[in-house]
Amino acid sequence: MSAVLSLNPTYYEALKRLTLELAGVNLGSDHAFLIETRLSSLSRKEGFKSLDEMVEELFKSGQSNLAVKIVSSLLERDTHFYTDRESLDKIENVILPALYPIRKGGKIQILSFGCSSGQEAYCIAMALDKAKDKFPDTTFEVIGVDYPSTALDRARAGRYTHFEAQRGLPIRDLITYFDRQAEDWVVKDHIRKMVRFEEAHLLSKLDTLGQFDIVVFRNALPHYSSPAQVRVLRGLSTLVKPLSYLLLGTHETLNHINFGFDPLPKEPHIFIRREAKVQIIEDPNIKKPSDRKTFEKAKRRLKDISDMRA
Amino acid sequence: MRTKTCLVVDDSKMIRRVASRILKDLKFATKEAENGQEAIDRCRVNMPDAILLDWNMPVMDGLDFLKELRKEPSGDKPVVVFCTAERDVLKISQALDAGADEYVMKPFDSDIIESKFYQAGLI
Repeated sequence: MSAVLSLNPTYYEALKRLTLELAGVNLGSDHAFLIETRLSSLSRKEGFKSLDEMVEELFKSGQSNLAVKIVSSLLERDTHFYTDRESLDKIENVILPALYPIRKGGKIQILSFGCSSGQEAYCIAMALDKAKDKFPDTTFEVIGVDYPSTALDRARAGRYTHFEAQRGLPIRDLITYFDRQAEDWVVKDHIRKMVRFEEAHLLSKLDTLGQFDIVVFRNALPHYSSPAQVRVLRGLSTLVKPLSYLLLGTHETLNHINFGFDPLPKEPHIFIRREAKVQIIEDPNIKKPSDRKTFEKAKRRLKDISDMRA
Repeated sequence: MRTKTCLVVDDSKMIRRVASRILKDLKFATKEAENGQEAIDRCRVNMPDAILLDWNMPVMDGLDFLKELRKEPSGDKPVVVFCTAERDVLKISQALDAGADEYVMKPFDSDIIESKFYQAGLI
């Protein structure tokens, strides 16, 4: 079935390329449909008469704020509660039993990297709440980080629709950890107090976020281009404290680039960061996108296309 | 592998049809009943692996059916997923206390049914 698309056809490739260059993410073959569905509501919210008008304004004025909003909208993932539960359960059953004797009495900070609308961060907080008797005298804090977006706003609000709340969330968790407000379900205060959300460009220098005991980055790596995978993993290596953990999705691994991490025996998707500082050797043949320059390049490319059409 | 069976209990023919179609896509063999009494009669003949159960129905409602079912020989075996417009937390707790394994609030879609059946260990 073919969808009716409203946007000037030259813009689809330009937006796909902009997303690849700014965020390192390839939108895939159905990008035209994705662009239409994700950006139509953004164009209304931003006060444009049409999607066409918003995209024309983006490439004419080169507003970086608008570019970030557009790319963030295109990157919003349709996340469910307890996606890939098998890997999430490893926090309680594998990582915390190893970390707890060392961090007992202090604070354990867990980062949900690329948190989208917050389901993963709240799932971690709910799991920690259930397991609190196993790990007494310790404070847990969950930090969700992602590009500034409406998804991140929704994460902060902790409010989920009737449909979102039922996707993946067991009914006992729903009635224990959420309050019903009109048609929506809102995360209860004691869980929300365990979680905070921050904005960050996931391919930027991430030092300002601090370092964490566990960094959770699941099932997102394959969406990034090869150079962007290198950048994002290099960024993650700075976010994990020495002798602390990186958790990937159940079927994910770091392949040949380890960035100072070693996989746990029998748990190939859990990595512990080595204590010693490791010199990262990069392949000089891999092109590294630079945010501002690549955005300018995308603008120039679109101008070339427009000139050709004129 | 043996095909799992699911009894869809709802007084709305349309809901039974929509739910049955979703369950067939999930590789279940389905049967239908339009109230709790008809459902208990069917269970006495053939106990299904799963029951998708409405609450408010004529003759015998979903909660009374569930209480009766759990008294039957092998009545503890079927996984029961309530599927109802009741959204009150007290009602949900009542259903869980009576022996429901999962709970779907209407309206629902195929993602929700699949997710709840997964939570209940059926797929």
